[in-house]
Amino acid sequence: MDDLLNEFLTETAESIDVVDVELVKLEQDPNNKEVLDNIFRLVHTIKGTCGFLGLPRLESVAHASENVLGKFRDGELDVSEHAVTVILESLDRIKEILAGLEATEEEPVGDDSDLISRLDAIAEGGVGPAAAPEPEPDVIEGEIVDPGLGRPLKPGEVSLEELEAVFNSTPGPDEAEPAPAPKAEKKSKKADRTGPLFDRVGGEDAVVVVAHLMSERLSGDKKLGKFFPASGTEQTKARLTGLLMSLLKDDLDSADAVARQLMTTGGFGEAEFDALTALAKDVFKQCQVEAEACDEAVMTFELIRDAVVASSKALAAPKDAKAKGATAAAAGRDKEDGEGAGGGRASQSIRVSVDLLEDLMNMVSELVLTRNQLLQIVRNMDNSELAVPLQRLSQCTTELQENVMKTRMQPIGNAWAKLPRIVRDLTVELDKKIELEMRGAETELDRQVLELIKDPLTHMVRNSADHGIERPAERIASGKPEHGTIVLNAYHEGGHIIMEIKDDGRGIPVQKLKSKILEKKLATEAELAEMSDNQIQKFIFHPGFSTAEKVTSVSGRGVGMDVVRSNIEKIGGTIDMVSIEGKGSTFTIKIPLTLAIVAGLIVEASGERYAIPQISVLELVRASDDSEHRIETIKDTPVLRLRNRLLPLVYLNEVLKFQTRAEIDARESQDGFIVVTQVGAFTFGIVVDQVFDTEEIVVKPVAPILKDLEVYSGNTILGDGSVIMILDPNGIASATSQTQAEQHEETESKARAARTEGEERESMLLFHAGGEHPKAVPLSLIARLEDIPVEEIETSDGRLMVQYRGSLMPLIMADQAVKLVESGRQPVLVFTDGDYTMGLVVDRILDIVEDKLEVRLASARQGVVGSAIIAGHATEVIDVAYYLDLAFAGWMKKKDKGTDTAVMTGARVLLVDDSDFFRSMVKPVLAVAGYKVKTARDGKQALAALEDDKYDLIISDIEMPVMGGLEFARALRADKRFAHIPLVALSSLATERDIARGREAGFDDYVAKFDKETLLRSLAQQLKVHGDAA
Amino acid sequence: MNDLVVRNDLNVIGGTGRRDFVTIKLAEQTLGIPVLAVQDVLNPQKITRIPLAPDWVAGVLNLRGRIVTAIDLRRRLGLPPQDAAKRSMSVVVDFYGEPYSLQIDSVGEVLSLEDSLFERNPVTLDQRWRDVSRGIYRLEKELLVILDVEKLLGNAASSKAA
Repeated sequence: MDDLLNEFLTETAESIDVVDVELVKLEQDPNNKEVLDNIFRLVHTIKGTCGFLGLPRLESVAHASENVLGKFRDGELDVSEHAVTVILESLDRIKEILAGLEATEEEPVGDDSDLISRLDAIAEGGVGPAAAPEPEPDVIEGEIVDPGLGRPLKPGEVSLEELEAVFNSTPGPDEAEPAPAPKAEKKSKKADRTGPLFDRVGGEDAVVVVAHLMSERLSGDKKLGKFFPASGTEQTKARLTGLLMSLLKDDLDSADAVARQLMTTGGFGEAEFDALTALAKDVFKQCQVEAEACDEAVMTFELIRDAVVASSKALAAPKDAKAKGATAAAAGRDKEDGEGAGGGRASQSIRVSVDLLEDLMNMVSELVLTRNQLLQIVRNMDNSELAVPLQRLSQCTTELQENVMKTRMQPIGNAWAKLPRIVRDLTVELDKKIELEMRGAETELDRQVLELIKDPLTHMVRNSADHGIERPAERIASGKPEHGTIVLNAYHEGGHIIMEIKDDGRGIPVQKLKSKILEKKLATEAELAEMSDNQIQKFIFHPGFSTAEKVTSVSGRGVGMDVVRSNIEKIGGTIDMVSIEGKGSTFTIKIPLTLAIVAGLIVEASGERYAIPQISVLELVRASDDSEHRIETIKDTPVLRLRNRLLPLVYLNEVLKFQTRAEIDARESQDGFIVVTQVGAFTFGIVVDQVFDTEEIVVKPVAPILKDLEVYSGNTILGDGSVIMILDPNGIASATSQTQAEQHEETESKARAARTEGEERESMLLFHAGGEHPKAVPLSLIARLEDIPVEEIETSDGRLMVQYRGSLMPLIMADQAVKLVESGRQPVLVFTDGDYTMGLVVDRILDIVEDKLEVRLASARQGVVGSAIIAGHATEVIDVAYYLDLAFAGWMKKKDKGTDTAVMTGARVLLVDDSDFFRSMVKPVLAVAGYKVKTARDGKQALAALEDDKYDLIISDIEMPVMGGLEFARALRADKRFAHIPLVALSSLATERDIARGREAGFDDYVAKFDKETLLRSLAQQLKVHGDAA
Repeated sequence: MNDLVVRNDLNVIGGTGRRDFVTIKLAEQTLGIPVLAVQDVLNPQKITRIPLAPDWVAGVLNLRGRIVTAIDLRRRLGLPPQDAAKRSMSVVVDFYGEPYSLQIDSVGEVLSLEDSLFERNPVTLDQRWRDVSRGIYRLEKELLVILDVEKLLGNAASSKAA
């Protein structure tokens, strides 16, 4: 039987039992809200599941009951005995239907309208007839597809049951033509139209007679009797009638179906079938059917021989396996005693509370530890007679442990069960052709984990079908098979289960994604330019990317990929994605087999041991002063160079407050082990004193009073019996970022003090390009850093060029002294401005520093803004605009004529910023764009400047000494003279909150620092708006 | 025993019942814990420290496969730490299904005491003690302060959360 159905039956049967009991409780205590809620919930669940499985009959009955219960719950209806009786009756009906469902795997046909109408009457407040009529004349009748017709009865038709009754009331079977009942007569007329054989035999009436006689004789027959127990005579009769009708009418399909139902037990072989045909022949003769027709009729039996014998064989097999008596099994299938049906199922599995399993698990862990201790002791004893029994004990313990673990394991196929249906529905809905391939469905994992990944999985498959797979026409056009394929694959890999969801659809379109990212302001264009396609595609996991606001777990609709990711991370898993445009996407989920037992890396800090969950560990690096892996610091932040990337580090000793940073720095050697750890997309290194091995650890939660220590995810007992804490890399990451934030705040306040002297911290890229002094450029101006193979650099029209991202990029030497390397790779800084991209050739990229930046000496030299002291060295800060102009002769001019950037040439702009550097950076940009620029150091100066002169627009920083931007804005808006001047904020604080605050204070627009394009556009726009208004 | 369970709440004093207490020593003071609250009495154990935890949490220890959180009772009650040479014994109590071990100096005996000897906390008692004590029994030679596990750990949890 279908697993889903099977589960449904078990569950529903349980629910119904509970509802039974609860309803009785409710009747006695009608005001017990809790009981009522419970009942309502259970019935609701049944209804919901029925709808899902496509069981209309069950659903309608459950729905009607739920209505009544709902009225109870809402207090619209009093709990009356009558109402409860009817609900109980409906529960019985549900049970009957379930029994039928279990036997045939199909919902039996029947009519519940009477019951439902009574339920509805109650729901509407009517009391209904005091003595409810029989729910149905015969429930049994309703449960099976009426065998006589192979379909439900239509209105106006009479069930065979009734015909039987008529038949029984007529003189006797020996009469050739029993007096037909009026309705039977009608049917006879209909019979005229059917095949001659049916007519010749004597039509429907004769068939009924034959069936009756046959069943009588069958139950009396020694040989065949056991297959047709007397208790089932009525049923047998009905089935035989159906069989004969369909055979004689030459309706082979229904004949076959009915034939398969004929047998309720195994062991009905060829010989028995021969006996049956012989018996049938006898009966036909007895009914005075003419010999020829009789022979023909008997011949038709051959048509169903295979079906009958096969179905009996099929029945025999499982029954034998169950070692159950054939009769018991027969009873199980027999609709007449539906109650028997539940029994077989219950014995196959029992439900055990998870707590009990947890306890078992704990005891087993303890047993394992004790065993290990014993083994240790015995190993040290010579010739111990304990050795052999202990060996046996050891084996048993291992097996026990494995089995207890297994009790929690379930095949992953259980989580996939709904998917084929979902995909099927989607194919219809979306008019696509999709095949779902499932591999490794038998792979087992912890039930708890299984439950948790169900929804994310469903969502991802839905996504693949919806967004991934193209429409057939589109697929054919791109040379792919018409059918799209979604492959689900699951397998074990080192204590984890890997799950892949692969589709051969269109992949994730990078360009489209980019514009969405920009639109949502998740990254700047410059940041995007630095990213690989894959990195950009991974933005779908970014919180805030999805537009969904609400999580609906049932369908997965509206669940963004970030929710999927966080769900997976919640259970210690990871998710990755590779997508190639036009080829398809593959999502890979890696989750631990079980939440209870994980592999942990045991590390040491200050003599104490800790476990780090292996799943978040990427690699281990040994750092020492003299190796290539040396811990370096950027100001106070320790970092490690790892394969050309900087890895931020945290000291475990510091996180756990064993040592302060000063103490760590004071240590003689900086040797240590670095556990490279990944939390989501964030990778960092945890520096520990020592690394031991990995151990399988049983995760136990920490005591509630320690719950808010976020650096621990639990604790565990190691093999040697000692307790150690399990570190939570997530918590460590957030704990450190918090302390960093605190530190940052500290430095921030210091910096604020420093700013009074006109200093500001900037991220600068240091590089060497001719001359002895390093040069610097604000990092935010750089689109990306490239190492270009020198042989790819070409000369064209006397200028250096390189093919870059599908177009030609001019290369400019940062200094005349810079020489191209002779072989290998040439470091190049790439700058982008609108459509212009240029490369600045440098000798060597040194470092990225964040430091106070003070341009001490303005430079008269072209290409240099001035000199500053950065990281203790005199450094030239280069002027990017100069180089851009060098690369594109028209760059500056374009700026002049730019349609969107300088609509009002000659407009007077007041630039308010406390940073000398910044003023010197922005001023030329504005000047180039055609504005007349004056500067002010802070709000106060600006106000003073306004008194002296008229301005069309003001650009102001937010964070300034003396008078900050917000204060300035408020002062400006308060003054009638200046209230109309457009005010644009220019700040590095560009979170949404900042922006909101800015607008509140009176800023018209908010632009991030260094976002030159936007600044210019904003200026033009503001001027235009205000100009129009004026 | 059943009798005791029924009348476990010492706040309702009246009549002449008897109650059993395990006595413990903590910095020369004798304390009593209702015998039924005590699950285990342990010799000095190896305790794993928990960095970043509140200072009165001594750490965690392994009690037959269960992880027990150890509470440093001296610190909890504002007493000076014990001599480093001496190692603490512990009494394991259960609080909402979680085992906690109270680190103490030593365990005394089990006393069965008349209800008539019970008295509420004197109002002048140190607030910290009053917070965790149910009352006091007058013994012949000394006074027995009864520890209320509920208050001790409940307050701990809430003060933690605060």
